[in-house]
Amino acid sequence: MSGSFYFVMVGHHDNPVFELEFLPAGKAESKDDHRHLNQFIAHAALDLVDENMWLSNNMYLKTVDKFNEWFRFWSSLTFLCIHIRFIMLHDVRQEDGIKNFFNEVYDLYIKFAMNPFYEPNSPIRSTAFDRKVQFLGKKHLLS
Amino acid sequence: MAQCLQSVQEFIQDSFVPMVAVLCSEDAEKVTRKNNLNFAELVRPFCRLTSEGHMRDPNNQVQVIKNLKISVTNIVTQAPQPAAIRKVLNEVVLLCQPAEGLVANVITAGDYDLNISATTPWFEAYRESFFQSMQASEHEFLNHYLACMLVVSSHEAQPLDQFLKLSQEQNRIQHSSDYAYPKWFIPNTLKYYVLIHDTSEENEQRADSVYEEMKQRYGTQGCYLLKINSQTSSVGSDEQIPDPWSQYLQKTILLNQELFEDGVAIVNSKNAENSVNAQDLDMLDLSVKADGIPNNFKMHPLQLDHPSDPGGNLDTLKSNMHIPDGKKTNTSTSHGACLTLSDHDRIRQFIHEFTFRGLLPHIEKTIRQLNDQLVSRKGISRSLLSATKKWFSGGKVPEKSINELKNTAGLLYPPEAPELQIRKMADLCFLVQHYDLAYSYYHTAKKDFLNDQALLYAAGALEMAAVSAFLQFGAPRPYPAHYMDTAIQTYRDECRNMVLAERCALLSAEILKSQSKYSEAATLLIRMTGEDSDLRSALLLEQAAHCFINMRSPMVRKFAFHMILAGHRFSKAGQKRHALRCYCQAMQVYKGKGWTLAEDHINFTIGRQSFTLRQLDNAVSAFRHILINDSKQTAAQQGAFLREYLYVYKNVNQLSPDGPLPQLPLPCIQSSQARIFFGHDRRLAEGEKQAATHVSLDQEFDRELSQQWKDLEEKVVAVVNKGVIPLNFQPAQYCLNSQTDNQRFPLAVVEEPIIVEVIFKNPLKVPLLLTDLSLLWKFHQKNFNLSHSGKEYEPISNEKDAHLKELQGTFKSEVMGTEVIPEFYMNSEETKVARLKLYPHQTGDLHILGVVYNLGTVTSVNSIDGMDPSSGVKMEASLVSNGMSVRGRQDLEIQGPRLNNTKEEKTSVKHGPDRRLDPIITPPMPLLEVFFINFPTGLLCGEIRKAYVEFVNVSKVPLTGLKVVSTHPEFFTFGSNTAALTPLSPTASENCSAYKTVVTDTSSACKALTSLVSPQDFGIGSENLPHGVIDIPLPDSVLIPGASIQLPLWLRGPDKEGVHEINFLFYYENTEKISKMSHRVLRHTAVICTNRSLSVKAAACRSNVFQGENDGRNGSMLVFVDIENINTNEAGVREFHIVQVSSISKHWKLQKCINPSEEKDTKLTSRERGKVCFRATTCNNSQATSGASKKYTFSDIILGNEQIISSTTPCADFFFRSSHFSQSRTTSLTTASTVPRLQADNVTKLIQQCNEVDLSIIVLWKAYVVEDNKQLILEGQLHVNLQAIGKEACSVYQKQEAQEMVLLKFIRPEIPPLPARPSVEQLSCLIKTSLHYPESYNHHFLQKSLCVVPVTLMLTNCSHGEVDVIIDLRQKSTSPEALEVHGSFTWLGQTQYKLQLKAQEIHKVQLKACFIHAGVYNLGTPRVFARLTDQGSMCETSQQNSMPALIIVNNV
Repeated sequence: MSGSFYFVMVGHHDNPVFELEFLPAGKAESKDDHRHLNQFIAHAALDLVDENMWLSNNMYLKTVDKFNEWFRFWSSLTFLCIHIRFIMLHDVRQEDGIKNFFNEVYDLYIKFAMNPFYEPNSPIRSTAFDRKVQFLGKKHLLS
Repeated sequence: MAQCLQSVQEFIQDSFVPMVAVLCSEDAEKVTRKNNLNFAELVRPFCRLTSEGHMRDPNNQVQVIKNLKISVTNIVTQAPQPAAIRKVLNEVVLLCQPAEGLVANVITAGDYDLNISATTPWFEAYRESFFQSMQASEHEFLNHYLACMLVVSSHEAQPLDQFLKLSQEQNRIQHSSDYAYPKWFIPNTLKYYVLIHDTSEENEQRADSVYEEMKQRYGTQGCYLLKINSQTSSVGSDEQIPDPWSQYLQKTILLNQELFEDGVAIVNSKNAENSVNAQDLDMLDLSVKADGIPNNFKMHPLQLDHPSDPGGNLDTLKSNMHIPDGKKTNTSTSHGACLTLSDHDRIRQFIHEFTFRGLLPHIEKTIRQLNDQLVSRKGISRSLLSATKKWFSGGKVPEKSINELKNTAGLLYPPEAPELQIRKMADLCFLVQHYDLAYSYYHTAKKDFLNDQALLYAAGALEMAAVSAFLQFGAPRPYPAHYMDTAIQTYRDECRNMVLAERCALLSAEILKSQSKYSEAATLLIRMTGEDSDLRSALLLEQAAHCFINMRSPMVRKFAFHMILAGHRFSKAGQKRHALRCYCQAMQVYKGKGWTLAEDHINFTIGRQSFTLRQLDNAVSAFRHILINDSKQTAAQQGAFLREYLYVYKNVNQLSPDGPLPQLPLPCIQSSQARIFFGHDRRLAEGEKQAATHVSLDQEFDRELSQQWKDLEEKVVAVVNKGVIPLNFQPAQYCLNSQTDNQRFPLAVVEEPIIVEVIFKNPLKVPLLLTDLSLLWKFHQKNFNLSHSGKEYEPISNEKDAHLKELQGTFKSEVMGTEVIPEFYMNSEETKVARLKLYPHQTGDLHILGVVYNLGTVTSVNSIDGMDPSSGVKMEASLVSNGMSVRGRQDLEIQGPRLNNTKEEKTSVKHGPDRRLDPIITPPMPLLEVFFINFPTGLLCGEIRKAYVEFVNVSKVPLTGLKVVSTHPEFFTFGSNTAALTPLSPTASENCSAYKTVVTDTSSACKALTSLVSPQDFGIGSENLPHGVIDIPLPDSVLIPGASIQLPLWLRGPDKEGVHEINFLFYYENTEKISKMSHRVLRHTAVICTNRSLSVKAAACRSNVFQGENDGRNGSMLVFVDIENINTNEAGVREFHIVQVSSISKHWKLQKCINPSEEKDTKLTSRERGKVCFRATTCNNSQATSGASKKYTFSDIILGNEQIISSTTPCADFFFRSSHFSQSRTTSLTTASTVPRLQADNVTKLIQQCNEVDLSIIVLWKAYVVEDNKQLILEGQLHVNLQAIGKEACSVYQKQEAQEMVLLKFIRPEIPPLPARPSVEQLSCLIKTSLHYPESYNHHFLQKSLCVVPVTLMLTNCSHGEVDVIIDLRQKSTSPEALEVHGSFTWLGQTQYKLQLKAQEIHKVQLKACFIHAGVYNLGTPRVFARLTDQGSMCETSQQNSMPALIIVNNV
């Protein structure tokens, strides 16, 4: 499986809370000139996420939107209770991996949010969190 | 999709209108030329018919035609080139920009408030042009010519011949195979003959007669006489006649003007031609070269109103050439100058006539014909044909199309194919608004085409079927959206005809919009974007974005995204303004959300586009954003941003070289952390000399410490101002930072530098280079000395000079010197401190505004980051060589601390002032520098060391009033006030003692040498001087400029071991008083490390021995001094010698040493302990004359061989310092506790006084230390203060027992307990008793059985009050057994005495003891009770001491 993934957690005010890019082992550096595109796409997907959120009982929304089809899909997981939206941009189909990844990151995030020194909805700058998410990404997405 | 001006029905109707061609004779053209118009243009404004028309459909039903519009155009014989179309569309969009003052709608969606203009006129303009530029194609007839107007002028010699000629010409164009273009609807096109008559020139009768002739020839319905030009052009200019042409032609004119103004090099020759005269010449040149008319049309003008002469031949063209010349100049802007309003009406009438009399009947006729054909064919051939085809050929495709099957467009039908006839029929119905019929025909045609697999045709039919279904009145059937989708798909994928697909999509989107199906419209539009046309993609994406925002629940984020995409496409298409607008609109959504990469990208694009559009301010602010924001970009990207920014900035600067300096965004300045320092950099050490530490920028700020300094300063200021701190007292602050009190304007001294420390932070991953960095200031000169003769000075600033970056080094100025840092390099993400100096040369108010510098990049950026040199290197190198740096400023603005005192301040957010950067420059003040010589860093406790201090006045002003105050005044002394007591400054040899010594002979050993000293001599004891402030004895009390003086300084190691920080504050003044600054201070912090030396414990006890009867005094005491070597430094100190013990007291003195051992020099090695015992007596008061009570008696008992005169400087100084210190401590304690009860206080006092001793012991020692194989002798002194008899005092600072942790309790503070009754112990000291008797007494018991021994009981009243004494001699013991004891004796005589003793009185009572046996007896049985006379019995207590008084009674 070699696809690249872009994962972002979006907060209440459509602000990115946490971003991470997963690249297949071969590609060390992502194309810098396209990094902003990920943000654009993920941000635009929020509209559909918000729309689908009310239509589905499931927290996991599968593929909500496509951009250019051949380029990337994205999936999303929305947690109504905390209204943090997880969005994954991916260019290969990997439903199960993404679902598991989301679930584990969700657990991780809940634990992280318990920290009284973390102000909800503010960007996560914890390196420990970052490391763990990277680990999860390797486990579920890039394996 | 954005809102449009037209409704959807209008839009669709106007997109498909009957087309009418124009062929015009040369003369006729000439007539219309007068109005600056050609014929087609002339009638253009009147082509929309206001009245209703009627016609009958094939079923003889009357069909009403409303609001019909026809299109009249010149014949163009060549199909437009796609490239040319693209160019024109580009132009149209480029020219149509949003109006400046357009009020944008505010759309609120969720959290977002967006400013978006609801209309997009550029899109409508594009759409209009697009539809106009559609070329006629084979598969549809909508834009084929239905009719042709032949226009001839009445001026012509043979108008009818001319008509004939034109008619032939039309026939040639339509039917000869030379021209594939334009297309004609049906073979026999309607020809309409128009005779144009210029009323200003011609005689009307001729025209009428020609018209009559025409009527006969062509019928009344086939010809028309149009009379125009009722007035000459010269007259016309006065009248206000509406100019209906302007809205049609303005665009093209504007286009040309703008093109030339902008200097944009896209000049479209087609459009240039359209703009009437001037360009005609080019056109004509072209046509002249060509032979024959056809070549005239070689270049297809895209606008339908082609100005060139449609008719005639080469000759007419040539003559045509001359006509416009005369009028070119004055008519270039106005059209229809020769037309009156009635002319307008005539033209309108003409069009009306043409349409209703000519065109509509023609269409009606054609429809009938076609219908007849179709009916007949449908009946027989067609259905039969298709049926047989089915049966026999088994669904085989029609023969005729076999060859074309591989064609991408599918089948091609010959023009007369029956399928096309249906289509033609449908189109005609559509054009005359018979949508029901049109739909059914289209539907039929669609089926046929699909059967034949003629995809292009089918798609066209589908498209139109959908449109006509939509337009049907009352909507009998739902709009078949899938028809459209199929059509678009077919056009795009099967036929690869993007133009048609686009047309279809535009129609479909508009229809969907009208049905509020925005989501479908958006999908459709987005699908239509492609790589082939950036402009189309951009426009469609923008419309899609508008669709998203117009949805019921607006999709703001999708809107933003598609706006970005549209902007991107616009910029690719060269539509910079539109691109910028799109990006700006999208920015509203992304702003401040934290999508940094996206935001950076947008800002960067906005910056670039703004720059190319010369909107430099916008560009700068956009680039600024990229740099300021917390960037996640890579280093290379940041470097690129920075370069771009600098480049733009440079351009801005070049535009306005004299403007105010721009504010630079980089590097970040932490304004509030700025520090300011007044004064020179300090020389710290100079050989042996060690400079006072003072204050420097390198020190960290410590609030506690600064408070300490402030307290010290207040103390000394209070002393100077006779105990009061002046109201305007401002503690000297040399270094201001964010934590200091900055409410007042700080004071700086003229000619002394001001250093501002600014913290720069480079947020980027690329290094920055700041050059020519200096401060910006504003200065208001004032003369503080002569305030009344105030000459007003103008404020001066260096903001102007700051432009001149060529200036190197210090800016030369009479007023203020500004230091310039030539280069300041900042590494990536570095925080660096710059120290910038100012040298004020005048007095006044200074305001430091900010910093000014050149911001530049560094060449070696890539090598530093360890990256491979990329393409950026070359560019960068060139940038630097170009001097790629911009000069700019950054202001230092400091917000004061938040106020929190009053309620108002607490409830609102208010900030106090911060005047850190606004110093007042005061007149010159003296400046002191202090150096310490031989100043130790380590001492033993109590060690005395001598050092020197050098005071230097480095200013140009004399200095006076030098004082020093310290946190540890007992640590040092400058010697006594009295010169006699201060030893002259001795040679500074190492082993020389700090003390003044006198060699004594051994005989005087153990004898006290006494001297009297007043404490005033040592600066202690005068009440008005708080302790700690010491005047420094300057000769003449003034230090003249440049002078220096060295003074000795004695130090004594603090009694507590450990590290001590000792703060000195030197205070000095100007000789003249200046209002602004009364004094200056200099700080010094000395760090001393002390080691333990000796521990001295002393105790006094009352001696019961009477010195002798004659002494008459009660004073005699034994003093035990217990000395222990507690030095732990085994290596260094070998041994301590006690060389002398001195006592200091007002009342007592040591008399002699009663040490039993013969060893004179008490030597203590490590951990050894020794005891010395002294007898002390009270001073001989007779010796003391008047005022002796104030004086202290020093008595030295020498244990060595030389006397240290303890009453002179170092010794006595330190004693007074330390004793005073401790005294003040104790008194403060006692006063605190004794306030509540005065009565009890008296008693206690009286009783306490009995015990008070008030004797201080100084132990002087020498220590032999080996250091670096050299023996050093250290000397020192330790003080013990004996306060009461029997109480042990210790020199070593008693360590407090570490308090156990207790639970924190909250209790009400208890009332301090009443001073208890004087304790028994204390009371027992009231009376001193002693029995005097012979130690042994011989008695002959055999002779006389009773032995009577006289005993004297001496009572001494120790107190200062009267004491009642009761002596009870009775046996205390009441037990009967005691009487049996042999050892008992009895007192004879009076058994009880009552006495009253006056203060200090000694009383003797003679007693007799009677013994009956020989033996040893204890005589100490008398019980003595004492009480103070005026007190009750409560104080009574036994005074008996338990000491046995033994007597031996011998039997002789």
